[in-house]
Amino acid sequence: MSSSKAPSRYDWPLRRVALLLGVLAWLGLLLVVPLIAMAWHVLDLGLGQAWHEMAESGASQALWRSVWLAVLAVVVNGALGVLAAIVLVRHRFPGRRLLDWMVDLPLAVSPVMIGLAYILVFGRGGLLEPLLLGTGWKVTFAWPGLVLGTVFVTIPFTTREVGHVLRELGTTEEQAAATLGASTWKTFWKVTLPNIRHGLTYGATLTMARSLGEFGAVMVLGGAIAGKTDTATVFIYAAMESRFEAASYGMALVLAALTMALLAFLKALQPSSPEV
Amino acid sequence: MGLSSSHAATLPASPAPSRSRVSPWPWLARGLLFAWLGLLVVLPLGTLVVYALADGPGAFLEALGAPYAAEALVLTLWTAALTAVLNAVTGTATAWVLVRYRFPGRNLVSGLVDLPFAIPTLVAGLMIVFLFGPQTPLGTWLDTVGLPIAFAPLGIVLALQFITLPFVVRAVEPVLMDLDPAEEEAAATLGAGLLFTFWRVLLPPLLPAIAGGTLQGFARALAEFGSIVVVSGNIPGRTLTASVFIFGEVEAGRNEVATAVCLVLLVLALLLQPAARALNRLAGASHVE
Amino acid sequence: MPQPSPFASILLIGPVTALAAASLSVLIAGCTGASPLGEAHSSPDQAPLQRTLTLGAYATPRDAYDKEIIPAFLAYWKDKTGQEVVVETSYQGSGGQSRAIVGGFEADIAALSLEPDIQRIVHAGLITHDWKDDAWGGMVTASIAVPAVRPGNPKGIQDWGDLTRTDVDVVTPNPRTSGGAMWNIAALYGASMRGYAEVPRDDELSTLTFISQVLARVRIMDKGARESVLTFEQGVGDVAITYENEVLTAKLIGKQYDYVVPRSTILIVNPIAVVDANVDAHGNRDVAEAFVDFVRTPEVQRMYAKYGYRPIVGEVGQELTERFVTPEDLFTIEDLGGWPRVTTHLFDPDGVFDRAMESARRR
Repeated sequence: MSSSKAPSRYDWPLRRVALLLGVLAWLGLLLVVPLIAMAWHVLDLGLGQAWHEMAESGASQALWRSVWLAVLAVVVNGALGVLAAIVLVRHRFPGRRLLDWMVDLPLAVSPVMIGLAYILVFGRGGLLEPLLLGTGWKVTFAWPGLVLGTVFVTIPFTTREVGHVLRELGTTEEQAAATLGASTWKTFWKVTLPNIRHGLTYGATLTMARSLGEFGAVMVLGGAIAGKTDTATVFIYAAMESRFEAASYGMALVLAALTMALLAFLKALQPSSPEV
Repeated sequence: MGLSSSHAATLPASPAPSRSRVSPWPWLARGLLFAWLGLLVVLPLGTLVVYALADGPGAFLEALGAPYAAEALVLTLWTAALTAVLNAVTGTATAWVLVRYRFPGRNLVSGLVDLPFAIPTLVAGLMIVFLFGPQTPLGTWLDTVGLPIAFAPLGIVLALQFITLPFVVRAVEPVLMDLDPAEEEAAATLGAGLLFTFWRVLLPPLLPAIAGGTLQGFARALAEFGSIVVVSGNIPGRTLTASVFIFGEVEAGRNEVATAVCLVLLVLALLLQPAARALNRLAGASHVE
Repeated sequence: MPQPSPFASILLIGPVTALAAASLSVLIAGCTGASPLGEAHSSPDQAPLQRTLTLGAYATPRDAYDKEIIPAFLAYWKDKTGQEVVVETSYQGSGGQSRAIVGGFEADIAALSLEPDIQRIVHAGLITHDWKDDAWGGMVTASIAVPAVRPGNPKGIQDWGDLTRTDVDVVTPNPRTSGGAMWNIAALYGASMRGYAEVPRDDELSTLTFISQVLARVRIMDKGARESVLTFEQGVGDVAITYENEVLTAKLIGKQYDYVVPRSTILIVNPIAVVDANVDAHGNRDVAEAFVDFVRTPEVQRMYAKYGYRPIVGEVGQELTERFVTPEDLFTIEDLGGWPRVTTHLFDPDGVFDRAMESARRR
């Protein structure tokens, strides 16, 4: 790894090449090679084998569960995220800093931690157990628990992205609309929303990618119950345990491909900018 | 705009449009948000804290003294720290290459940097075990030269490197983009050495961004679970990290121990977060909008 | 900031909505289904009178249940009552399964790896009858703890004592997170205390030393018994402390490795119990109790044997003495004082295991 960081682009071509190659080698070894190796391994095990094992072990159900969870997260955190972004960026009120902090909190928390925390609240013997017993709802070791966990880990994304866009845009357009007599709602719908579309899309993609990849919280909260609380990631883990190696790696590839496709889609949406 | 978007870490309010009409909507919205986040975020984490301390600080410390709890925390801390330091270096170098150089496939490489955000952590761990595991030629070679990756602390660092790669890169890129190369060139024409140019001209404006991204990566590394549970071998005291330890304790029904370790991690995270955000704010402020 | 085209938004919203609709419909349509964690077995025809049964089992006997025992039970019950049964299954680590049942997984039957995992369910108030009060002490299958070795036994492992050799790498799960792992350590402890590890009999200090010497050779300590075997299969280590039935199950699917029967080892017995709270809620106590009885019939015990389990029904055991070698000294958990003593004395904080581990780290 080259140590030079500031070769002038005009005077040290050799250093430039060295740095460039060093960085590319590092990225390649860390990111690309493992991915290709795994893909090759699946091909080695046999795509047919992988497909057969996956069909036999209910891979598609697990995958749909993951996708459904991701969509739920996008919808819920999308709506609330936009609201939060507007409130945090456009408003001034006591407790704004606190709200901002609360939004960012999920980023700092380990997923296993939040799984445990939810169990302490919603699980057997937990804080809200009387309430749950009354309604007959089951949260832990059931679908709602998975939803909770997935929504939690994706709270910050939309808020931050949309907030960033809002901050950069400024309020000129909204103010113009206000002076022209538009109501709050109309201003939001006709002016704000179209403007933040880009940030919203970004946030939605991040949310989706993160949801699909969630593992720790879902394991702890859902308990990995057959055909009920296993998501794609839990499937990968469980398949490996049950010696469905081809299915495990196959699903891993499917998940990786799906999320990479999301990424690529996002990049395609982005208007090409000179910087990146 | 990178996916880690460290710029969006803080949301300072722009001057609010003056509202001559008194409307209940803002307050309703704020109330809803507080209730929502209160229920989903604060209540569970608060319950965790209360549970950990329910029997008093004595019991809490005793729970922390459970076998391998302290070692798990220490292992987590040093592997995350090493990762962060490595990232500071590699991330800055990568940002430099992406911003200042033109080469074929540059856009592809830039997209590559976001790959860790796209790949589930469990899959990342599987890939590393697969590539560097003991049954592969690469793995056996590494083992013989004394650098085992799979089921060893080095593997943890490698997995963490993968996961936290984008943070520093995406934090430094925007600042670097706004940096005028004129200063460096001036320094060069005046005969300044490489080290001087780096130390005096480049580093100061970049430092807040590098530090901010590093801290974010560090915080992320502390919380990592999915990749490590596959890679590390989970030997208590040697390769068992805090998250995996917590998972094991929860599975064994020892919630007191699990919550105690959670509390430590939580406090750490809560300390790191504002620091990282302050640094990002500084970085954001230092470049011209 | 340049405006994205409206196309882009449609491009995103469209597929997302379609995906949502599709997944919703698939999810609703395919509510029960197969999973690596278990399956739903059902009789081919959907007769009006259909019963369900949920089995929460540990990971290892999966193939035995899915491929033979459950289909046999479906036929048996149909024959006996004319009813169709749908059996939902879940397989995961014994401790995890136990925790899941306590946490709300409504299993009608718990078939786990060791007694303490059932006791956990008893303590949660979900099993209210004396589940050990039958002809077999509540157990359904048996096995022995063995060292698994590479094909041809290249390191020449003969007994537990060989696990202390410096040229041998050992793999075993972590007893703090894996109930199944407790069998392994108990086996080492017992064999040593009974004088089969080249240390003096009944000398706990020497036994401690012996165990720590073995632990010092451990490269990987997986969090579960099955994970540990899988790690061994991936090429890590020369010896895996595991169960005879794990090795035999692996050989059935073509894995190439073997095991050695040590002179002294522990008899592993796996419990099964009806979970009262759940069967009463589901109204399927008769089916559940029938299943628990069914798996102890000689016919089913032979099925277990096919997958490497030692039968607990004596007469079947007689038939299979060739397949299942009896070690010179076969002891049980009762010989070590019973589970309560073993869990506290060996596995409590600062117990034998912790002290041995501590000592091992200093080697």
